Amino acid sequence: MIQKWFSRDIMYLMADIVVNVLIAFLFGSILLGLHRKVMARIQLRPGPPIIQHFLHSLKFFFKETSFPKTAAMPFYVAIVVILCAIWVTAVIVGPVSQGSLLIIFGVYALYKIVEHNSGSSSGSPYGKMSCVRAVFSAAAELPLFAVIAIVYLKTGTMNIAEIIAYQSVHGALIFSVPLATIVFFVLILSKSPYSPFAITKGKDLVSGYETEHFGFLRGFLMLSESMSWYVILWVFLTIFLAPLSLVGYLVGMIVITAITAIINAVTPIFNPNHSIMTQISIAIVGIGGSLLLMLIA
Amino acid sequence: MDITTLGGSLLGTIPLGDIVLYLTPFHLFMFGSILIFTVIIAISRTETQVEAIFGGMKEKKVSVDLSEFKARRFLAIVCGVATAGAMITGDLFNFILFVALIGIVNIGIVSAVKQISVLDAAFHYGLIAMMSSLPLFGGGAMILASTGTLSLFAISQIPHTSLMLLFATIMFGIGVAGETGIAPFFATKAEMFRTPGSPFILIIHLSSLFIIIRTIEIILLIVA
Repeated sequence: MIQKWFSRDIMYLMADIVVNVLIAFLFGSILLGLHRKVMARIQLRPGPPIIQHFLHSLKFFFKETSFPKTAAMPFYVAIVVILCAIWVTAVIVGPVSQGSLLIIFGVYALYKIVEHNSGSSSGSPYGKMSCVRAVFSAAAELPLFAVIAIVYLKTGTMNIAEIIAYQSVHGALIFSVPLATIVFFVLILSKSPYSPFAITKGKDLVSGYETEHFGFLRGFLMLSESMSWYVILWVFLTIFLAPLSLVGYLVGMIVITAITAIINAVTPIFNPNHSIMTQISIAIVGIGGSLLLMLIA
Repeated sequence: MDITTLGGSLLGTIPLGDIVLYLTPFHLFMFGSILIFTVIIAISRTETQVEAIFGGMKEKKVSVDLSEFKARRFLAIVCGVATAGAMITGDLFNFILFVALIGIVNIGIVSAVKQISVLDAAFHYGLIAMMSSLPLFGGGAMILASTGTLSLFAISQIPHTSLMLLFATIMFGIGVAGETGIAPFFATKAEMFRTPGSPFILIIHLSSLFIIIRTIEIILLIVA
């Protein structure tokens, strides 16, 4: 009997994971398609259909794959598969189990490393330059950990389910730690396509770390992009605006995607030094201000 | 602060005297991830960088020679194992020792490269790492003096944070930042990333970021 219930629980959990990963991929793809559409309309272009990113992702899985002679094998192949696996882990820790926020940030750290090393592993100078820029940009993302510490100091927990419970009693954190919310939003902006902070994928580097990945390897990269966009938006909405209904999440994700698209459409890509200093300056003001507000309150 | 509020539910403990090793989903994830990467690095060869020659149509290929490859791979594996150890240890002194070891092997991974600019970067990183060992070990010693234990499990049960403990934690944080070469010290490390040897570069950066995440957990355990 126990074994039967146990196996049923495992089956439910597996189904939950599969459904959530599929939602993350499909909805993330659509959101990235919407992002391109909004940018195009602002720039007075018709733009591609909203499902274009989704179609591209599928297309690459059926294209011929070639491997550069200069690549670090099997590292070059393993790294993109791992990139995909870590975002599946993020979906499990986030939307499925609502576990520890620290694991999500462990995932984010891995994502940063995998992202830039997928560039350097090919031997291409464009990938290598993207890798070097990613190392610099990681310095600008360290304040992200400070945002998590602020959320922890405010709520007393790192557990996502408990953070949601805290907000249902005390109100959304966006009102109590607004500056930390802005710092997190800047991080989302930096991760959005064609962002002013997207120095690792600047057009002077062709496609940055993705330049030398073809066929199913590019498919894995695009799959990961879709899931990462979905998860980052989910984490933002859950940490700062919870509790939200399904419609709330849907509207929230669409609105944030549209806002980032508008900003990106009217802003050029910064040079690496300006990009990092802008992010660090916003982070210092945001984190210092948040701590000050918490001390006063 | 309760360990489970940071890393998730407690999966198990190993009591060794007053040092209690503990495992949560957070530690398990970090430990598993670093081991997977260490294995991939151990079995991978390095890439060959293709560089254009200025003023002509030819190109130059820069690769890692065999003796350099062997030395850097060995150090990368040691770095991976040390980081894995730092992810699951429940003892602050062991954690500090692992961090010091990671700093040393990171310098070794880079100083095996025979390029002046890279050796220069390794030299500067070495200076920062050496200087940072004082606040790192000093911070650990002060935490021991303030609390009477180095067990993270026991430290997390202490209800009040004294000023001395707060100061010791700041020293400990500065020591880790310098030893792993993160901001504001990262400029000394950036030059290292231009060299060939992508798998080894990965372990340098991976160990730094994972140590920082674990350090945040430890600092929150001590002061929150």
